[in-house]
Amino acid sequence: MDIRDLFDLLWTWTPYLAGGFAWNVAVSIAAMAMGTLLGAGLAYGRLSAQRGLAQSARGLTTVSRNLPTFVCLFYLAFLVPNEFTLLGVTLRVLPWVKASLALSIAVTGYISDTLGAALADHRRGRPEAMLLFLPSWMTYFLIIVMASSTASVIGVSEIVSRANTVIGATGRNDLMVWVYLYAMLWFLGFCWPLTRLMRAIQRRIRERSLMRPPHRGRPAGGLLGARQS
Amino acid sequence: MVEPKHLRAALAGIVGLIGLAFPAAAADPDPLGTIRQRGSIAIGVKADYPLFGQLGADGRPEGMEIDLARDLARRLGVEARLVVVTSANRLQRLEDGTVDLVIATLGDTEQRREIVTMIEPNYYASGVNLMVPPDSRLHDWSELRGQKVCATQGAYFNRQLAERYLVDLQLFGNNRDARLAVRAGRCVGWAYDDTAIASDLATPEWAGWRMPLRSALVTPWALALPRAARDSQLRRAVEDVVAAWHRDGTLLRAERRWNIPQSDFLRRTNALWNEADSQGEPVCRRGANGRWPDDCRNRALLSSTEVTGLMRIGLVLKERYGIDLSVVYDSYDRSSFGMGLLRTLVLVLGSMLGALAAGIGAAVAIERRIPLLTPLLHGAVTVLRMTPPLLQIYVVFFGIGAWTVMRWGFAVDPMLAVLLCLSLYAGAAVAQALLEAAQVLAAQLPDFRLGAATLGRALHASRGPINGILVNIAKATGMASAVAVPELISSATSIMAERGNLAVMMNLLMATWFVIILGTVVLLNRAQLWLDRKPGRPRAVEA
Repeated sequence: MDIRDLFDLLWTWTPYLAGGFAWNVAVSIAAMAMGTLLGAGLAYGRLSAQRGLAQSARGLTTVSRNLPTFVCLFYLAFLVPNEFTLLGVTLRVLPWVKASLALSIAVTGYISDTLGAALADHRRGRPEAMLLFLPSWMTYFLIIVMASSTASVIGVSEIVSRANTVIGATGRNDLMVWVYLYAMLWFLGFCWPLTRLMRAIQRRIRERSLMRPPHRGRPAGGLLGARQS
Repeated sequence: MVEPKHLRAALAGIVGLIGLAFPAAAADPDPLGTIRQRGSIAIGVKADYPLFGQLGADGRPEGMEIDLARDLARRLGVEARLVVVTSANRLQRLEDGTVDLVIATLGDTEQRREIVTMIEPNYYASGVNLMVPPDSRLHDWSELRGQKVCATQGAYFNRQLAERYLVDLQLFGNNRDARLAVRAGRCVGWAYDDTAIASDLATPEWAGWRMPLRSALVTPWALALPRAARDSQLRRAVEDVVAAWHRDGTLLRAERRWNIPQSDFLRRTNALWNEADSQGEPVCRRGANGRWPDDCRNRALLSSTEVTGLMRIGLVLKERYGIDLSVVYDSYDRSSFGMGLLRTLVLVLGSMLGALAAGIGAAVAIERRIPLLTPLLHGAVTVLRMTPPLLQIYVVFFGIGAWTVMRWGFAVDPMLAVLLCLSLYAGAAVAQALLEAAQVLAAQLPDFRLGAATLGRALHASRGPINGILVNIAKATGMASAVAVPELISSATSIMAERGNLAVMMNLLMATWFVIILGTVVLLNRAQLWLDRKPGRPRAVEA
């Protein structure tokens, strides 16, 4: 097929695929929101003076750090009922909700670790530590956006799953690679500029606080990929 | 006075009477004898199940099961008298004595075993499959997760399909509507009994349509005798006939004769019943207790009192506590889970080593500042880090895979494709971490340059992030299940789809993975200690 046909075809399906990517972002935002709340709870718990509380917060962090997102996805997809009745109201648990929950487990562990470290630094009198938490939160959000593509395996209608639908609908195996590459482009186009922005912000914060880049084994920058799913 | 002669005669008469009366009271004559005496056996068959039991042009039943009924009678040395039964009355006809035996698409279930005598081995099996349009690319149940699938209301397997395969079922009032909905593109296919689909596919209306999946939720079919025939000679004789059918290929031939697509079940049983042990004796032969060995029986219906060893422990757990740990008692599930675990460990170790190698190679090459190569690698590192590894796997597996098939006629091994992608994806992150560490080191030591001699230092300085990257890539190896690599997740999902032990398998999977990741963390820490202890290695670089 010639290039123009290919472009026409991808263009025709673009709104559909874009809608799928919106789901990736939505699922990721939901996962970040839940994971941040839970992770912040654990981070404060770890710093608590009560030993029992601190210990269980540490234990939960270890668990959430060691469970693979991909396995959590299957676990929740198969074991959480699709609908349940609460106080006489029947609620449906849609696949995207399960996917967000699964992704939020990894977020919880990460936030507990980074926010915990930032809080500790802050209490030691380094105010910029809390400022640096923001860009690393953003960086992790991008990692979760990429990990959200795995939600396709439990049937969430996000961009990868829609790419498969497009390939199925056109019935043309020679298009497969191009459709997948086009879907990749969406991730690249979303993540790359935001990563650049976050790096610039990080640099500004560090320059302002006149400190050298910290590296205590868990630097705030250069994390992309380091804490994937 | 009674003469002794008379007494003897009277006694003989009484004994004779007792002798006549007793055998009749102790047991009815064996049904096999009755049938032989009568010279015919009454067999219940169906006439409403196309290809298996249908009415022929002459108004008489015909089909695969009718062929089998006639063959059975021939082997017993009697005439077959066919009686048409329906799904609703077949068990009743058996109990009231209208028929001696039924061959009537009867599924072998635990409840029915209480009512009638099921003949083992099972002679056929039906399952659920999907009828799809000619252009469909589906070939595995896992591709159906979240997809719309048409089904007919009231089919007993609908709920299990939705739960175990996560399909989005669209229910229709009857088969016709459901199939038309598929034709109209409202679903990817129609999920129904595979033998019924096979009958449809034989008609011109559905020419070109296919049944592409491996049948799921398989229920074996059995010939049945009345409950009273449980310990009879007839049961043994019929069992021997069915065993002979499996051995000599009668069943496969009957299936072929009616153009029924070859069932997995018959192919497997044909191989199993022809298997011989080291002495050349058939593996499936009656033991001292007169029963077939466990491996040749319907495993789903075995109970703990019938078996020994591990299998017994597993079945007791299942019967007493409802914990169906089939990986403990079933050798097939056990080896499938074990192989899955092995493949996962290979993927974990392979992708960690691959990531280290790719990352170090890329970082050193980039630091050499080779024109063209360095910016190219920089670009590759960026693209690899900012696109989802799952998509990378799809591109390599389907894209490059299709190309190598076209060009050289071989397909890319899915496991290798996954190893390559995960190694490159994590390798890009490793390279980035090394380059950042090198930057920091260069700021401290003016003549620092990343190379073979200084690699140890850079690795030491970046050990924290690299550790994290490697653990994360270990966690991500489950993605291999998306391209049908039979690793741990694939094997767990297929075992639970077959057994329905969702909670047990998912918890086992989660626990196993937790241990794998803990092991990985320990391994990485050990490796680091070992690297630090090596002589000549510089101590920690001060921050």
